[in-house]
Amino acid sequence: MSSTVTRTRVAVAAATAGIVVLAGCSSSGSSDNASAASCEPTKGKVTLQYWNTVPGMDKVVALWNKRHPDVQVETKNISNDQYGTLGNALKAGKAPDLAQVGYDELPNLRTQSAFVDASACTAAGAAKSKFVPWTWSQTSFGGTGVFAIPQDTGPMALYVRSDLFKKYGVAVPTTWDEYATAAEKLHKADPNLDMTFFDPNNAEWFNGLLWQNDARMYGYSGDKWQVTVDSAQSRQVAGYWQKLISEKVVRTDLAHGSTQMYAAYQKDRLATYVGAAWGYSMFRDNLPEQAGKWSIVPMPTWGANGSSGDWGGSTVAFMKGGRHLYESVEFNTWLNTDPDALAMENKLGGLYPAATAGLELPALKQGVPYYADEKIFDVFADASRKIDTSFSWGPTQKTVNLALQDAMAKAAAGDGSLTDALATAQSAALKSMKDQAIPATAGK
Amino acid sequence: MTDLATRTAGVAATPVRRRRIDGGGPRAGTVAAFVTPFFLPFLLFYLVPVGYALWQSFRVVRRSGGQYGTSYTAFGGFEQYGEVLRNTEFWSSIGRIGLFGIVQVPVMLFVALIIALLLDTPLLRAKGFFRIVAFMPYAVPGVIAAIMWSYLYSPQLSPVVDLLNGVGLHPDFLGPGAVLWSAANVSTWLWTGYNMLIMFSALQSIPQELYEAAKIDGASDWTTAWRIKVPIIAPSIVLTTVFSIIGTLQLYAEPAVLRQISSNISSTFTPNMLAYTVASGNNYQQAAAISVVIAVITFVLSFGFMRLTSRKAGL
Amino acid sequence: MNNLTTTRESRAGRTAAMGLMLLLAVYFLLPVYFLVVAATKPQGDLAATNGLVFSHFDLFENLHVLFTRSDGVFGRWALNTVVYAVLGAATGTLISALCGYALAKFRFRGREFLFSVILGGVLVPTTALALPLFLLFSATGLVNTYLAVFLPSIVSPFGVYLARIFAGASVPQELIESARLDGAGEFRTFFSVAFRLMTPALVTIFLFQFVAIWNNFFLPMVMLQKESLFPITLGLYEWNGQTARAPLLQESVITGSLVSILPVIVVFILLQRFWRTGLAAGSLK
Repeated sequence: MSSTVTRTRVAVAAATAGIVVLAGCSSSGSSDNASAASCEPTKGKVTLQYWNTVPGMDKVVALWNKRHPDVQVETKNISNDQYGTLGNALKAGKAPDLAQVGYDELPNLRTQSAFVDASACTAAGAAKSKFVPWTWSQTSFGGTGVFAIPQDTGPMALYVRSDLFKKYGVAVPTTWDEYATAAEKLHKADPNLDMTFFDPNNAEWFNGLLWQNDARMYGYSGDKWQVTVDSAQSRQVAGYWQKLISEKVVRTDLAHGSTQMYAAYQKDRLATYVGAAWGYSMFRDNLPEQAGKWSIVPMPTWGANGSSGDWGGSTVAFMKGGRHLYESVEFNTWLNTDPDALAMENKLGGLYPAATAGLELPALKQGVPYYADEKIFDVFADASRKIDTSFSWGPTQKTVNLALQDAMAKAAAGDGSLTDALATAQSAALKSMKDQAIPATAGK
Repeated sequence: MTDLATRTAGVAATPVRRRRIDGGGPRAGTVAAFVTPFFLPFLLFYLVPVGYALWQSFRVVRRSGGQYGTSYTAFGGFEQYGEVLRNTEFWSSIGRIGLFGIVQVPVMLFVALIIALLLDTPLLRAKGFFRIVAFMPYAVPGVIAAIMWSYLYSPQLSPVVDLLNGVGLHPDFLGPGAVLWSAANVSTWLWTGYNMLIMFSALQSIPQELYEAAKIDGASDWTTAWRIKVPIIAPSIVLTTVFSIIGTLQLYAEPAVLRQISSNISSTFTPNMLAYTVASGNNYQQAAAISVVIAVITFVLSFGFMRLTSRKAGL
Repeated sequence: MNNLTTTRESRAGRTAAMGLMLLLAVYFLLPVYFLVVAATKPQGDLAATNGLVFSHFDLFENLHVLFTRSDGVFGRWALNTVVYAVLGAATGTLISALCGYALAKFRFRGREFLFSVILGGVLVPTTALALPLFLLFSATGLVNTYLAVFLPSIVSPFGVYLARIFAGASVPQELIESARLDGAGEFRTFFSVAFRLMTPALVTIFLFQFVAIWNNFFLPMVMLQKESLFPITLGLYEWNGQTARAPLLQESVITGSLVSILPVIVVFILLQRFWRTGLAAGSLK
């Protein structure tokens, strides 16, 4: 009897060990391909996988597929859990050839050796001149390779319910000080009306505000990452919003993009929206009955500093494991520089192109009916020029964002302040980098 | 994998030669043929992942060279466990779920017990209807239940909030203090009927004669219920409690859905959410350590509760 | 006199009991009623009108949008759900029944050990298994296939636990012995004698496992990337996360939720009997 049990146990142990070893091989062997991959065209028909979160992207891809029968592209929408899906696929060695990656996640994925350097393809390097400079600087990691092609950007501006401002005789603010004053006036005029909402669960948005104030969160020197998430500039932004929250002139109970948020706008409970270029279609599509009531003006500024910020925007990255680099570069550059493609992406997905040619699209030169025929894209183009180009992201940005969000939510609920949240994010950055064995220190 | 399967099956079936083990039973080969169809998948999809998680929890990430570097894993002893046990977020999630469990589980089981007892008395009419209504939420998956309730919680969309506003109440179901209980309500809504049915079924199988004596003594329905019925169905109540403890410690889907509309549910709200968040930060090893600790706590609590109640019953 | 007080008492008790039950019934029905109402509305009315009152009746339009959205992917999800939950639960029930029967009726060495290992499995948090399983399946190329969800779903330690109890309670040893004396093999005995006696219990096990699979969205979420392989729950969850940027998706999430829970509720009500007999046997042991 005992021999049976022992043998079964041995078998169990062997089976366990076998599978573990098998899995261990595929999961621990991640390495950074510093040298560029080779770039040879594939003979015969090729199918590329391209994952993204852009509404209507399948139609853009259908256009490509019609024009290029030998290079077919399959798309998948991963907008629900973009980086979770991507991270899992990478872990499984099942990443697509191309994937949409936000600028802020590029360093993080790079530390996971997620990308392949496409600089061996001449077409990839040649694309540099076609994009807004700060975008290329981030996708090339300061010119050390071509890991992704910029797709869109999110220069920020202020969406304003001009009818409400007019109704209560309040001037549209041009500085953050004026913005705070206007908030008070509007709230006094109508206690149900708040200036805007502060979504504590939206670190990406808050990072855009920090970017606007030239807060630099990361640097690299002396073989170490320098973490400056908690800096004088970022504390100025945090302190400002903390004041608005404490005075209850902005709401903190709405999640960005939720039905509840739209309902609040629909019921005239909110007067402004601090948003990015890609947001213009959200209002157009979700609040059609408010056509003509909205205008878009430049972001309120910090005193003499006229900078704007960037919120979101994405790149299309060359993922490790893709077997058709040449065709991937072909498709990727077409997708992000071809005027037909850019026009469709702008129309269907509301993307604001990162390609300089894209800024000249006829659609971006005209008045937009929903915004009372204003030429809103002129505002965004202007903002785009005023973005600090030396800003860079951290290698554990996602973890830091989550820690920042959790702490901001606490602050919004009256437990601590947004300034405390920055300190929490700073230590989360240092700890998460330590967990990933990335050398880091608190910078000055 | 197939090769592995055949080998394991082969080993299990080895003692065929010994015709009858232990007297009366059938041949070992027959036993194996009955047991293996379950045990093999159980081994591969339950035990092996547990072993794998354990193995991973003893590893740490190391990195070589440069600003981005190249990562690899190495043996790290109890390092990940140390990180988990020092992590304040971990302890707050445990504390939160503990509070949740201490309140929600008794409330839910108490309501379930009341309904079960009422359905077992002549006091109620339309019993079939009430039983079905209470049980119905069990057919609704947690994700969909949370989506439905999120509409009823949301200040902009909820008819319930509108109604309460109308009478001068301004509840904030998604506020920092309330959201835990809003999540608890979704669980209560989902599982009360299920627990009720377990208790009700136990009540139904009590022989009627047991009550006769009580009736002759003039005991009221309530006395009968509390003095006779509840003690008899105690094992069912223990069972539902153990399952509720396990369910509570695994809580994920409901708060994850509510998180989409409330910032007061953090990314580390429940232990499982913490594990997923850590894993998505590419720290699979620490996530594995968290999972192992959760499993150990589940074991200790479930067994502890069963031991405690069985000792009491034995007295 | 004595009789009178009892009557009065029981009338008060009856009113209190009915009142309490009605209140609870409202609580249990409210969200479902809300869903029914919301599913009949055009999306614009969701926020603009009272959630408990019907407005413009748009149910058929909503259904049309639901079933034609993204090339009718919702229909595909429904079919997948049937494969995972119905087929998975059926397979799971069969293997649980075989194993539980063996544990109850055969005496063999290591039986108690085996049973405790399986019982221990009941306590393993299944969500904790999903991530390691994912990594293991990646290594074997199973990720993103039907099998990735189907195979782990058929394993239900609780099903074996129930099957053992049911087999012990409902299959008399004498019947097995006499079948053996007639020269029937163990499998024939099982399928011709035990299986029939255990049928009500097996329906219970099937229902339990069906619910477990129907409820489990963490596993498919981790395992599946191809939309065409999703079960309904995961599909709706993904849609719910995309509503911000896709017009009218909110209404499809609501209509889709209703369409997917209604048939299950109906089946549950029809099969209520099995829940009760099964649960009684399972809990009193």
